[in-house]
Amino acid sequence: MNGSQDRDTPWRVHGVSVEGYRHRRSGVPCQDACEHRVVGPVTVLAVADGAGSRPRSDEGSKFAVRLAMDHFGRRAGALAALPGAKVRDALRETFLEVRQAFREHTGADAPDFATTLTVVVLAPEWIGQVSVGDGFVVLRAGTEDGVRQYHLLPQPAAVSEYSNETVFLTSNDAPDWVYDSCVKDPGVDGVLLSTDGLAQAALSRGPGGGTIPHTAFVEAVLRSLDAPGPVTDNAHDALAALLRSDRLTALNADDKTLLRAVRRGRS
Amino acid sequence: MSSEYPPTMPAEYADIEFENNAQRLPLVLCLDISSSMAGAPIQTLNTALAEWTRELQEDVSLSYSVEVAVVTFGGRFGVCSWRGPQLLDARAGVSPFVPAHMFQAPQLAASGVTLMTEALELSMRIIAARKAELRASGLQYYRPQICLVTDGLPTDATGHFTETWRRLIPVLEEEQRNRRFRLYAIGVGGITELGEQVLRNFAPKFNARIQGFPFRELLQMMSASANAEQKGAGDEVFEKIFSQFKTQRPAWES
Repeated sequence: MNGSQDRDTPWRVHGVSVEGYRHRRSGVPCQDACEHRVVGPVTVLAVADGAGSRPRSDEGSKFAVRLAMDHFGRRAGALAALPGAKVRDALRETFLEVRQAFREHTGADAPDFATTLTVVVLAPEWIGQVSVGDGFVVLRAGTEDGVRQYHLLPQPAAVSEYSNETVFLTSNDAPDWVYDSCVKDPGVDGVLLSTDGLAQAALSRGPGGGTIPHTAFVEAVLRSLDAPGPVTDNAHDALAALLRSDRLTALNADDKTLLRAVRRGRS
Repeated sequence: MSSEYPPTMPAEYADIEFENNAQRLPLVLCLDISSSMAGAPIQTLNTALAEWTRELQEDVSLSYSVEVAVVTFGGRFGVCSWRGPQLLDARAGVSPFVPAHMFQAPQLAASGVTLMTEALELSMRIIAARKAELRASGLQYYRPQICLVTDGLPTDATGHFTETWRRLIPVLEEEQRNRRFRLYAIGVGGITELGEQVLRNFAPKFNARIQGFPFRELLQMMSASANAEQKGAGDEVFEKIFSQFKTQRPAWES
């Protein structure tokens, strides 16, 4: 996936999914996927992480992000017009439509396509997130004492003590695990979506023990998209090389996805 | 690592400082070093441990994720844990886990009795303690692995066969049902039918009786299992890896 060519939209978007070290060594395709779509003043972003234990999860993750584009894209205008209080319910409803369509299409084989899905809608008045599984979203918003501020959107509680276990779009109890949030802050000028393959690189532990963004990483990957103009091949290759680097592999051998968006004309 | 993918950081991102917060995979090698292992078997084990350590360190991901602890039963002190090459004093409260990229294999010598039950109990204790440490440091982890290797029967401190191993059965059953760790129980050399029966009870799915002392293959199987854990593989993959090991085919074929 390459950078957005929609020059008159407020956001510049770029993302990439790369196969992890384990999959690279055994010739298994990347089971992550990401996509974005611009519909009028609304930008829809999605990342998905196919389950390592399921045979067709690489197709599942691609299918999930495509369905997210279709369903959220179709409702983009209506969503953007909603008053703030109604946004979260509408996001959840649309997300469950995506799940329904996914399950209908994959039928009895749905578990073979198991994948997580994280969707972000960038509307003129708000930014909404709706998700199932362990993907995560970080926002860049404003400065405090001249220092850029980064915020991790709320994450669900872990489903087990092990880091490689999560809930999937196809799980029977997925509706119970769908979580959403909506931010109304015109100061947000950068958004990063990722699958759990980057959790160690992009997230850190706060002084109170909670999870917070790892500023050095998030700052660097958003800053490189702040440069005006379309995303160059070099910039694309550099991000892919970062995700494939030994340094990141040492932190996590899983597939990695980074989908980033910054507001144009700000940096 | 394939040269197609430059492992180095692109210049634009070279100044990012990362934390040492890789997801951890605790691995306990619970090894029989009682007198029946003397001679060629213990030498084979030492050589295989050194070789496996090198291979593990060549794997960019396993080397930073896997943490190795060695527990031995036999020898002068009965049951011991090792932090790499260093024999630990049980009272010191030092964790025996060493990140694979820093692990050095101990030099083991064979003598003494087979306190297998106590060694497995120690293995479970150090895993529980390590999980607590990891949680307290905010580090994520995969399901730990214990690899029990023996050529004999559980004995008491005087070297006589004992039925005390039976006290472990309900404990291991519950621990494995709760997915606290994966236990592989492997009989080597001249292990008897009764010895094999003990292992079957410890690890109903993942037990084996292997001809000779194929420690190299055995350790490679542990790496393959760690690799599968990192990929989030399903139980059927672990069963396949194990069955390939049992039939002495390369574990990496999975």
